[in-house]
Amino acid sequence: MMVAVEKDKGDSLMEGDNVYIPHVMKIEKVIEETQNIKTFHFNFKDETQKAQFSFKSGQFAEYSVFGVGEATFCISSSPTRMDHLEFSVMRVGKVTQAIHELQEGDEIGFRGPYGNWFPLDSIQGKNLVFVGGGIGLAPLRSLIWNVLDNRDIYKDIVILYGARSPADLSFKYDLEAWDKDDRVNMYTTVDRGDESWTGRVGLIPPVLEEIGPSPENTVAITCGPPIMIKFTLQSLEKLGFTHDQIITTLEMRMKCGIGKCGRCNIGNIYVCKDGPVFTYSQIRNFLSDEF
Amino acid sequence: MGYKKIKKDQLNTFLSELSKDYTVVLPSRSGGQVVFAPWDGKNTDFLDWYKNTIIPPKALFFPPVEEMFRFRKGEEGYEIEELMPDKRQQIIFGIRPCDARALKIIDMLFADTYKDPYYLRRRENSLLVGLSCNEPCDTCFCASLDISPGQSEDVDILCTDVSDNLLIEAISEKGSNLLSEMSGLSDAGSEEESKAKEMRKSAKEKIARQINLSGLQEKMRSNFENREYWEKASKKCMACGICTYVCPTCHCFDINDENRKKEGKRVRSWDSCKFPLFTRMPMENPRHEKWRRMRQRYHHKFEYYPMNFGTIACTGCGRCIRECPVNVDVTEIIGGI
Repeated sequence: MMVAVEKDKGDSLMEGDNVYIPHVMKIEKVIEETQNIKTFHFNFKDETQKAQFSFKSGQFAEYSVFGVGEATFCISSSPTRMDHLEFSVMRVGKVTQAIHELQEGDEIGFRGPYGNWFPLDSIQGKNLVFVGGGIGLAPLRSLIWNVLDNRDIYKDIVILYGARSPADLSFKYDLEAWDKDDRVNMYTTVDRGDESWTGRVGLIPPVLEEIGPSPENTVAITCGPPIMIKFTLQSLEKLGFTHDQIITTLEMRMKCGIGKCGRCNIGNIYVCKDGPVFTYSQIRNFLSDEF
Repeated sequence: MGYKKIKKDQLNTFLSELSKDYTVVLPSRSGGQVVFAPWDGKNTDFLDWYKNTIIPPKALFFPPVEEMFRFRKGEEGYEIEELMPDKRQQIIFGIRPCDARALKIIDMLFADTYKDPYYLRRRENSLLVGLSCNEPCDTCFCASLDISPGQSEDVDILCTDVSDNLLIEAISEKGSNLLSEMSGLSDAGSEEESKAKEMRKSAKEKIARQINLSGLQEKMRSNFENREYWEKASKKCMACGICTYVCPTCHCFDINDENRKKEGKRVRSWDSCKFPLFTRMPMENPRHEKWRRMRQRYHHKFEYYPMNFGTIACTGCGRCIRECPVNVDVTEIIGGI
């Protein structure tokens, strides 16, 4: 079974547009996910721009706080819910700090969408296994909501989400909604519990092996910290998933987002333009010990 | 159109005529260095001393620091004002064939998928008047890259310095149109034409330095994980980044904001894969070690660029060899793989 991912062909850009000029967007809501992760709901100021905009699950954008700079994040909301857009940010540096200081009504710069997307067409009619760790659920939740909004054209859905501790669980409102949804098999786990945690405790890879989804007519989609991805890929292999049945999305330092500034390459592959979504077969072919 | 010529002591008149409709940029001395700068309307003595500029002509299209747009916070929120290069046409007079090729090479990147409006605007508004090299430097190795000191295909007009005359040949249609409008040029004789051809040939023969490219991509692939090789090759490198700065095809950049109260600018500036911060992420850095960064630079030029665009991103201009403070030599490192 082949799951093919496509390349960004730059067709989101209108003729004559300057690709580096961001749209000015308004923050509509700020959600404090964990002590260092926030989710922002934002929207176009201009209704015409809003009407023209479209994206696909898995794509990313460049977000900026004017005067501080730009940073790269995926669009974490679903294209099936275009009332507003969402992105989530872990506070790790200068730009992310400035983003964390933003409040409802503040403005940000936004340019995109860039990169390729999850192969929606080729996962139709299949069982789907989503495996997310920490903030790595952000790109997956875009696809998950996309899939749930068209639930009939997919088979069984398993979602496994894990974080270091209960306090590190992001998107609790999603986890709750999926837990209640009888069309989804939802599993949540933490590496270490606390006094009030009554749920599952355990690292994602062993929990995944315990759940043991069948690879038969199934596609697994995973995203999380590099170490988690590494062991999750091994667990999926143990369960009998072939490399073509596993999809992940990568993160590298980016600036331009459009394949020119030169930093996000792994060998000749530019994560911003050729990715960020790759099958495990593709990743295994990367000629690089840099990954 | 056949060859035209002009007496070298009449070059001033020719350049003045060009200056009416174009900004003429040519080699000039500044702070002890040779750079491309707008013509001062007088001097044409560069023909006596010019070999090549320290900063490659990429800087005329992709400046070291470029203001992309201005932002200002007003009553209604942020307003953005695009800062595009002006539309005035410029002539790059005296560009060397290797550097003209370098522009063709980076055109592929800047015009790929998402078009880079700043670079492309300047390219569209420019005309290249090349100057063949009669006396290549000892660091030149363009001949190994299939570029010769008298190469004509990448310029609009090619000039060759033949004793008292400058021989002028229209290459592109744009170049031909321009020359047909110029007064003060006379037709060159066949003797001068053959003299020019001879000079270009002998210049090519003077290039002694070579880079061994045979089977290079295969060799690079199998050598990729040879850490020992790259550690040794990069041992004396100081990661100062001068090789990337003076390279006519290095195009990596950074984007930052400059800010003062409620207004500021977004600025693009040259960056370098030789700097550890280039790829640093909060939790990790795929090219933290110096040897990985040197490997990245050479693999990018000699393996990835050919894979992605079908051409090596090196023209043999030799600037990186000339300017390296510790004598890192690309021909040795590539040749040693």
